Amino acid sequence: MQSGELSEWTSQLRRGVLELCILHLLQGGPSYGYEIVTRLDGLGPLSAGENTIYPLLRRLKAERLLDTTLRDSPAGPPRLYYRLTPDGRTRVASLGNEWQAMVKAVAVCMDTGDRS
Amino acid sequence: MTLEHPLTARYLGKLTDALSALDPAERREVVEEIRDHIADATTAGRPLEQVLEALGPVDQLARAYKVELLLNPKDRREPRSWRWLRVVGLIALGSLPTFIICVVLGSIGISFSLSGVAVFVAGIAAYTGDLPDWVQMDAPPWVGLAVGPPLVLIGLLALAGLIAYVRFVARVVRRVLPHERDATA
Repeated sequence: MQSGELSEWTSQLRRGVLELCILHLLQGGPSYGYEIVTRLDGLGPLSAGENTIYPLLRRLKAERLLDTTLRDSPAGPPRLYYRLTPDGRTRVASLGNEWQAMVKAVAVCMDTGDRS
Repeated sequence: MTLEHPLTARYLGKLTDALSALDPAERREVVEEIRDHIADATTAGRPLEQVLEALGPVDQLARAYKVELLLNPKDRREPRSWRWLRVVGLIALGSLPTFIICVVLGSIGISFSLSGVAVFVAGIAAYTGDLPDWVQMDAPPWVGLAVGPPLVLIGLLALAGLIAYVRFVARVVRRVLPHERDATA
């Protein structure tokens, strides 16, 4: 089990990254809540739990990065599908760039730290 | 559809109550979505108790929704400046017509209903011969009786119209003015 401080750090970090990941997932096409939750579930530190992901999906919708449609699902009743809006697409691209820049910068930091 | 398990029904009921601060349509969609989640997860073979445990206590889930949706609203639908533009527009377009409508309807309402009553009373007085000396009535008494009620009716209609218009304006103003909740955000 992680210590309190470490898990707090992880959850802070995850909060921002999760948004990027969900938007990226939806770039592959519309999806519904349970599917999104299970796809993120296998991803170790990113498996944030449904009680984080569902509220986050609603916020992304409120920010007009996603919109919802009721669609027939392969099995069972119609489900609420989320899909990217044009705003959402722009946001994925800019968040993706931010993330790449961040990863590079962190890599440089850790690299110089290790050598000294 | 199979009958909902009592545990599920209770969880969703509590969630509905806990989310009363949300917009009703939003709340309905949220609860529907959690219902679908429970159905999907149990269909996939997970025990119901475990599914509900993973969702966490209702209070905690509701708080997560409120944190995302209420504490940090980034509603892009309408920037604040637009709202003030609407207020200014309402005043610019609405104030002159409102002034004219209130004056016209108000004076028609008061003068017609008062004079209608007066003419009617005068008509009765002329019939009974009790018409005081200072009232000069050239028309026959039945004219007063016939004309009085329609005058009163027109006057009351005008007053009713005035009240309806004031209510309408109040509703429009309430809709256009920024809400208290936005002001504190």
